[in-house]
Amino acid sequence: MRALLVVSAVVLAAALPQQPSLDGRWRAVLDLAGGALPFELAVSAEGGKLIARICNGPLCADQATVTSSGSTVLFDIADYAATITAERRGDSLVGTYQNVGRNGPRTIPFRASRGAWPRTKAPASVLGSWDAWYITDQRRSPRVLSFREGPQGLEGAVLSNTGDLGMFWGGGTPDSFSIARFDGVSVYVLAAKLQGDTLRGVFHAGLRTQTPFVAVRTSGAVHLTAPTALTSADTVNPFTFSFRDLDGRAVSQDDARLKGKVVLVDIFGSWCVTCHEATPDLLDLYRTYRPRGFEILGLGYEVTGDSTKDNPQIRRFRDKFSIPWILLHAGISVVEETAASLPQLKGFTAYPTTLFLDRTGRIRHVYAGFRGPATGAQHTRQIADYREIIERLLNER
Amino acid sequence: MTAFRSVEFFRAALLGLGAALPFPASAQTKAAVEQERRAFAEWITTAPVSPFRAVVVSPVGTVGLTVGPASADVPLAGVGAGRLAERNGRVILERGNEAPLALPRGRPVTVGDWRLLASGPAGRAVVTVFGGARKDKKLPTHYPYDPKSAYVVSLIPAAAPRSERLLAPDGVVVEATEAGTVSVPGGAGPVTLTVRRLPGATEDESELEIFFRDGTSGKGTYPAGRFVSLIPLTGNRYSLDFNRARNPFCAYNTVYPCPAPWRGNTIGRPVTAGEKYSGGGLDVPSN
Repeated sequence: MRALLVVSAVVLAAALPQQPSLDGRWRAVLDLAGGALPFELAVSAEGGKLIARICNGPLCADQATVTSSGSTVLFDIADYAATITAERRGDSLVGTYQNVGRNGPRTIPFRASRGAWPRTKAPASVLGSWDAWYITDQRRSPRVLSFREGPQGLEGAVLSNTGDLGMFWGGGTPDSFSIARFDGVSVYVLAAKLQGDTLRGVFHAGLRTQTPFVAVRTSGAVHLTAPTALTSADTVNPFTFSFRDLDGRAVSQDDARLKGKVVLVDIFGSWCVTCHEATPDLLDLYRTYRPRGFEILGLGYEVTGDSTKDNPQIRRFRDKFSIPWILLHAGISVVEETAASLPQLKGFTAYPTTLFLDRTGRIRHVYAGFRGPATGAQHTRQIADYREIIERLLNER
Repeated sequence: MTAFRSVEFFRAALLGLGAALPFPASAQTKAAVEQERRAFAEWITTAPVSPFRAVVVSPVGTVGLTVGPASADVPLAGVGAGRLAERNGRVILERGNEAPLALPRGRPVTVGDWRLLASGPAGRAVVTVFGGARKDKKLPTHYPYDPKSAYVVSLIPAAAPRSERLLAPDGVVVEATEAGTVSVPGGAGPVTLTVRRLPGATEDESELEIFFRDGTSGKGTYPAGRFVSLIPLTGNRYSLDFNRARNPFCAYNTVYPCPAPWRGNTIGRPVTAGEKYSGGGLDVPSN
């Protein structure tokens, strides 16, 4: 009887339609109120699990764990407590992206088909840097938009006073284009038209926030507040702190690994996209200057404030980049809470914020935010500033 | 595929035409509304910080709140005596010899069998305590989808937008900006409704909200009114779909403070679309 059941089960299983593997690239969109946000999911087996990398053009930085139950496919984007749940119909997926906002679920329609988005063409007429004003209820706030041609088409960056939103990817015609970014939590589309010398468009955030903007070519005049002008610090007394490392040991400014060294304090969060973008540059600085008495200290501000939940996230961040410097769990990623835990800073506003301490432990410079690789020249300038500061502080005796 | 066709192909996706994909965009359809309702129903029945699970919503105040024993301001069974206080803008739980526990705004913190959530601006912090689900809570119910209750409206911007503090749907004080007005059919002619911009799920997001009352308020829908969001279309046009009208959290649980009805935002006819009132919240007079 048992043998009959086994045979029946095998026959039945063979008769059921088999879903082909999810492996491969999927061109996906989130359907926002103002249009579709395109991105890609690159699915592959890694370490016995199915992983989907979330790609915006050539950049595939964030990932989801993929599981299937019948025709339902779940993409678990654990870094941002978000999911994509979709019904699979052959080579199509239809469902919703969801994470939780203050008033309940934030749900955005999702769909995907097997295959890759084609390479786009960057409209030459918009390449370069633009000074923009976002307009909300007759109030204006400044941004700098920059566009360049990348390996898969148009790439862009949106820079505010507190840093950039990461790399956008898109395409269009000489006078009309869109660029987009989805990384698991950021849901952005910037769509614009070139009218004469003016760029007019709409910045879409989330399902239905739409902010009109106008932009003109960057003139060289100051448009954004400098990253050194947003947050100030007590520069008289040595920087003091006491937080626990990932093994629960208290670490303070008196730690022997920091004493007498020039220290870059990286106030970061493993959830912070810009912090991920800054880390490769910090690794470069670390390798270059550590032999001369330079050290980096990472102060992690995480989602829950509970080290049992946050420390695994920080370890994951550490392992992603093979970070060799001291990482501490400093608190919670709420601006007011971070500010309260670092009373020597005034006007803390951005993750990451970078402090430069001289060999006596005093804060000498503060940079709020980080202008990532997507911002091109602004990124180059910020790293050059960092190098100049570190060189100068190392030469002080 | 030629370069030209690639560009057109990409633009089609960006513009929501969905030419490259087999299923059309559905953000504005009946199916999308029903999906939103299902997602909300799942959230409200399962989320640890669902309004169904809230047991206390209380201002911390200048003197703080005692917590723990049954006689405390905030009784928390199984939790030792302590005090919630706001210090330099931070909400802190202090308990005997234990290290003070910070309650960051907007992030629930587990204390024993409870979750504590701090909110509100500095100096006016509010703590919400969540416990086990209450069995007498009813799932949100809705009128059948009514396509005639979905309008396309134009937003007339406010001449001089003012900001003011008011209660969001979740009973939290937020800084809202006057965005303008829209007109919809009322009982005896068009009625003008005030639209305000409320903070959204992330720093870059906001919601254009209308808190309104109508002929069903207190007669099938929540007496204090319902919220409905404007969904941008093109230009200055918005979708105002009353099928998306939803209750403030005080409709689910009397522990939440209820937003005061917005002056003038009364539609003189019944709007038989969107969420109904299933009980559980505070019944306030309809007039």
